[in-house]
Amino acid sequence: MERPHDLGGEPAGPVDRREHEVEDWERLTDAITIALDRKGVKTTDEHRRAIESLPDYRELSYYERWAAATENLLVEKGLLSREEIDARAAELSRAWGER
Amino acid sequence: MSGHDHPHEGPGRTASPYALRIRAIESLLVEKGVLTEAEIQDQIEYMYSRSPANGARLVARAWVDPEFRRRLLADTKAAALELGIDASGPVEFVVVENTPEVHNLIVCTLCSCYPRAILGRPPDWYKSFEYRSRAVREPRAVMREFGHEPPEGVRVAVHDSTADVRYMVLPMRPEGTEGMSEEELAALVTRDSLIGVSVPRPPARAR
Amino acid sequence: MSPFEPGDRVRVLDLGKPGHVRTPRYVRGKTGRVERALGEFRNPEDLAYGGDGLPRRGLYRVAFDQRELWEGYEGPAGDSLYVDVYEHWLEGA
Repeated sequence: MERPHDLGGEPAGPVDRREHEVEDWERLTDAITIALDRKGVKTTDEHRRAIESLPDYRELSYYERWAAATENLLVEKGLLSREEIDARAAELSRAWGER
Repeated sequence: MSGHDHPHEGPGRTASPYALRIRAIESLLVEKGVLTEAEIQDQIEYMYSRSPANGARLVARAWVDPEFRRRLLADTKAAALELGIDASGPVEFVVVENTPEVHNLIVCTLCSCYPRAILGRPPDWYKSFEYRSRAVREPRAVMREFGHEPPEGVRVAVHDSTADVRYMVLPMRPEGTEGMSEEELAALVTRDSLIGVSVPRPPARAR
Repeated sequence: MSPFEPGDRVRVLDLGKPGHVRTPRYVRGKTGRVERALGEFRNPEDLAYGGDGLPRRGLYRVAFDQRELWEGYEGPAGDSLYVDVYEHWLEGA
């Protein structure tokens, strides 16, 4: 879907006013994204573009979009590879006994 | 429609797969020297220190001091700094004032831009597809959902933050607040009134 | 010199540009009034792909009449919508 983010004026339902407690991983995602911006590794504009390009934009939550976009930009810029992220995630998962 | 924006329907909900991935990314970035743990922690601290209370203080000061109000509207970053609020950075801030003629509402339809450097993180609903879609097209219906109906004759002005300017509303001072201290006034200024979906709380006791 | 002054009537072009653009679909082809010039900024359309965003582009806050933007808009004639639009998306109307 082209421009899944360009939502202004689309029909939509009531605004859900419930608020969730920010999770640690969301705080971390926010911090890493901004820290990379501050250091000049990427720009806010690249971050937005990466979010807008996500094929599952409409299915992901706000911070899932941030995390996915940050990952994609780091891979795009050759700073990390998908394989090493996968491998580290698997290691952490084993170490913490998560799924 | 809002996907996983509100996944917290009860115990035993599954964690996002991105929770694990961002920790893997953190670990790799630090290992490779792209970022340090201190730099990451600095950003976490930065966001902790930003909250709607900052906006409330700016509004309360503007209510009691007409010269500060003028400065807040003319150069928001500089005025914020007077109160010890550091909103420095490449983004510009503009405060739009509510008057007896105009009520302002802020949205970012394209992504959820928000004056984070002053107010901290936006509420979940501000980032929702429903708010982003409808705030521009039916602002009065959205405000009604938040319990606010502008009085007869008041025009509604919506601001879509599409570029590098972030907007905050300067609400009108509620009736019956004469003689209240700045601190008491700040306590009336809600986050939602700074976005424009509603107005500040009325004073606790009729005067 | 700024190509547009406050009060100028402007039409938002539908440039059909792919990629990262910050002009929402809902204002394309619509006519509004320049409320103020916001200054010059690096072009996000270029920054988004790692470019330097130069030359800077003028950014304008443009006011639209809600009744002209949306069919069946619920509200009085004075309701307005402000959007920050880059100069290359605008033409005098």
